[in-house]
Parts: sequence; C-alpha cells; structure tokens
Amino acid sequence: MRIAVCMKAVVDSQARIELDGDGNLRQEQLRYEVNEYDLYAVEEAIRLVEENEGDVTVISLGADGAVQGLRKGLAMGAAAAIYVECDPFFLGPHGVALLLAAALREEGYDLVLTGVESGDLGCSQVGVLLGEELGFASTTLVVGTSAPADGHMQVRRELEGGEHATVQIQLPAVLTIQSGINEPRYPSLKGIMAAKRKELVHTTPAELGFAELPTPRVTALGLAPPPPRELARMLEGSAEEMAAELVRILREEEKAL
Amino acid sequence: MSRSVWLVAEHQDDQLHQGAAELASAARAVGDETVAVVCAAPGGTVPQQVAPSVDRVLVVEDPALDPYSAGLWAQAIVALAREHGPAAILLPHAPLGRDLAPLLASRLEAGLMTDCLELEWDEGLVGTRSVFRRKLVARERVATPLALATCQRGAFSAAPAGAPGAIVTAAVDIDADAVRTRLVAMERAEVGEVNISEAEVIVAGGRGLGDAEKFGIVQTLADALGGVMGASRPVVDQGWVPHDRQIGSSGVTVRPKLYFALGISGAVQHVVGMRESDVIVAINKDPQAPIFEYAHYGIAADVFKVVPALLAALGS
Repeated sequence: MRIAVCMKAVVDSQARIELDGDGNLRQEQLRYEVNEYDLYAVEEAIRLVEENEGDVTVISLGADGAVQGLRKGLAMGAAAAIYVECDPFFLGPHGVALLLAAALREEGYDLVLTGVESGDLGCSQVGVLLGEELGFASTTLVVGTSAPADGHMQVRRELEGGEHATVQIQLPAVLTIQSGINEPRYPSLKGIMAAKRKELVHTTPAELGFAELPTPRVTALGLAPPPPRELARMLEGSAEEMAAELVRILREEEKAL
Repeated sequence: MSRSVWLVAEHQDDQLHQGAAELASAARAVGDETVAVVCAAPGGTVPQQVAPSVDRVLVVEDPALDPYSAGLWAQAIVALAREHGPAAILLPHAPLGRDLAPLLASRLEAGLMTDCLELEWDEGLVGTRSVFRRKLVARERVATPLALATCQRGAFSAAPAGAPGAIVTAAVDIDADAVRTRLVAMERAEVGEVNISEAEVIVAGGRGLGDAEKFGIVQTLADALGGVMGASRPVVDQGWVPHDRQIGSSGVTVRPKLYFALGISGAVQHVVGMRESDVIVAINKDPQAPIFEYAHYGIAADVFKVVPALLAALGS
C-alpha cells in the first residue's frame, strides 16, 4: 500500500511569541519544530507498510523549517519526500489542501495521513479538505488502524468522554491521526544516514500549476494577547512557607482537608 | 435582507447534546433568525428538544441519518443550504464538527473558522480563536458568501429556552449508497479499578513532571491526601498511566472537592474536564501557565520542591 503523510513545520509555542508595536507577530524570533501530531502519523504509516508492504512518502509545504521535518520523516523510515516551497501563513487551510492535492493526485496513494491538527494555529481542517480535493473518503481523530482488506480498512475514532467509534472506511482515504495512537520512534543513526541518500523532491506552487496562490477563504484581521483573566491567589515565600500556608488555607478556610 | 444563522443539532440515542443550546446562543448573537438543522431517523424527538432554543427547526428524516454519519449528514445539509441560502452555519468543535464542518466547507465552497471563542457580525462572520497554545488570540473574518464556524465547547453560555420554534420537515433525498464510511461499533468509556469521576480529592499530573518515574510524586501526594491520581492527556499518550485516569475532553470530566494540578500547563482540553472542581490548587514552575487562570490557589515553583514540603506540612 502506498501512503503519503503530510507534515507541517509549526511555530514552537514554548518559545517567545510576541507582537510588535503594530500588532504583527515578531517573525524573526520564531522557532519552528515538527508538528507533534504529524510524528504519530508518520509512525502509523511506517508501521502499516512494515506489516502490509508498500512505501511511505512524506510531504511538507512551507518555509525552510519544513525540510527539517521531512528529513526526520525520512530518517524514521519514509522512502521519499516532497517539499513544496511557499509561505503557508497566508494560504489558509483551503489553499494548503489545494496545493497538497496537486502534489499528491497523480501518485496513486491508498492512504493519506495527517496529524489531527497543527500545534500552532490548530485549524484542524486540512485533512478533510484534502480528502475532498482528492475525491477520497476521510475521517478524523483516529487512534487505531487495522490491516486493509477488500478495499476497506477499520479505524478507531476517539470521541468525547472516553467513548470510541469503530468506523469502516473505503480506500483510498485520508485519516487524521490523534496523539497517543502509537509511540513515534526516534530515528536511528542508521536511519539518519540512510535518509541522506533518499530522494527529496523540491517543487513550487507554479510547478504544480498555480500561477498565483489560492485566495484564502478566511481573512486574518489581527492578533492580540489573550484577554486578562482572574488569576489564582498566588502563594509566596520558600517551598516550606508556601506549603504550610496552603495546608492552613485548605484546612481552615476551605475546610477541604 | 434578514440574516439566517443555522446550527447543526448534535444528538445521540434520540438525546439532544447540551452543546446545541450553546450554539443557539452563538447563532442568536450574529443572526436575525436562528435555525437548528436536525438530521435524524423518522419518529425521534430531537426536533422538539431543540425547538425552544431557536426560531425554526429544519428537519431531514431518513433512517440512514441515525446514527451520525458525516457523509450522509453533509448530503442533507448541503442540499438544505443550497435551497435556503443561510448566512452562516455553526457546528461544535467536537468529533462531529471536526469531520462534518470541513466537508461542508469544501462542498459549499465556504470559509471555515474552527474552535471559535467569540463570534460577531461585522461585514461578515468574525470569529476569535486561540493560537500558539493560547499565547495569542486571532481575529478572522470569513470572506465567502456562506460562513462556517465551529465553536469551542463551553465558550458560549447556553441560550435560555423560549417559545418553541416552528418545526419544518424538509424533503431531501439521501443516497445512503454514496457514503464511504460506516459505523461498525460504539464503545462506551472504560471504567478502571478506580472511578476517578467519583473521587473527592484528585491529584493530577502533567507531562511537565518529566518522566514516568518522576510522575510517581502524583500518587505519593494523592495517598497522603486520601485521594486518587489523575493525569492530563500527554501523560496518557506517553503511556505513564492508563487511559482511565485521563481528565479532559477526551477522557473523564471530574468535579471533586479538591483538585491538585501538578506540572499541568492548562490546555483547554484538560481544563474543560476539571474546572468545575470546588477548590483547585495549581503547582507549576511557569508563572505564565494558563492553569493559574483556573486555579483558586497557585504556587509558581518546582513541584519537586513544593510537594515534599507539603507532605511534611500535612504530617504535622
């Protein structure tokens, strides 16, 4: 089975994220990392081809940081990588789906996996939109897969409150992969060395037939710090002082102990 | 022209999801007319259940529409939207909306804003959503004639019940053979040896504690307080504790008398499962962690320094 996995370079949210005087993101201090959900998707794809034969292609779209993610995907065991160079900040999920579909359409994939959402913007749309552009079935929040049989596969979908649904989906299909489905492997030294010899195809929107980038269907109006909320009563002092004060509060004021 | 804003009524086993009233209040804030769309099997009572929250209920009845199927519900809603031309359609940012909203966006060529915290109408549907793990909020406006949005659970207060809106049954042909996904089975929540949803004292830990071994400090404090151990999603994903201890949107919702959050940052997925607790204490070395916005008492310090001191203070 042929599987493509979409990977995104996301802004590292642990790093400093600030606005300048005009309310624009200070882009120069942003750091990028691989979207964590996508690593679960890569791992799931590799396991599926290990058990059922086939090959995995990783694809990413974006600025330079995307290539680093693709190299990680190759080192984990993907056979090939496609890098679409463009600025995804201004594309929106619909535009991203159009470009990914253009790059993947002719390759005859049985399965396309994405992370359930991106850790920075969290739109959680590209997987299903891509499925529609490719004419594939799709489902989201997948926490379990099984071997394909008779052109179908059964997947386990995570619902709310601990509920799950088992869904049979027709192939070809797009699945968005939820965290916790597996334990993503760390690339071995051998994998990292092998990745250097693997094919990394570089392409652009123009080469994919887009003279201009697709117009976003949602317009960004601006970014702002979150509205202030009432904070907890913060305790101060040494660890021993704070501990003693907390126990006193919980015993005497809250009567919770 | 009057602006009709629709919501997709979520239901299961002929029971309307309580989130529908939240969507109704979001719809009322941006629309002149609010319409609930109900996709259901014939003979159910979901239209009657949702009617007091909206001006009108549009019902598509077909045996194939129950249980929920994203593909078949999309067929029904696309047909209705093409016929009636609503200004906006709202869905929950939940498993249903994650599947269905992008399907509708694609088929109706509409812009979609997900996980909205606020909605307003300003030359189009304008939404506010958290980005960069809640460090910033983004304002966006849908640029297409039809606007779609999914709303975060709990972000909108439920609309009070009013006079029931008129219930109109719409004739839509559903092609059940066209659907490419089929529900095989539903699994209810697993209940572990300890039912954490009934515990009066819960000590929960997050990935910030470091590793499975260090996470043991959570159980130690829980034992000292006579409570039970819980965890946030990343801890369960890492396999440090079993899934039945997971607190949050995809796990268990709890409301103990006392809740300790150790090394938990406070992602919304966790917070929705514990914010109703009577007394919340958060210990986290990052003073900017969002968990302090939900806690009643906060200690911005190293869990591994504070908890031993706490154990000593409890013993005295």
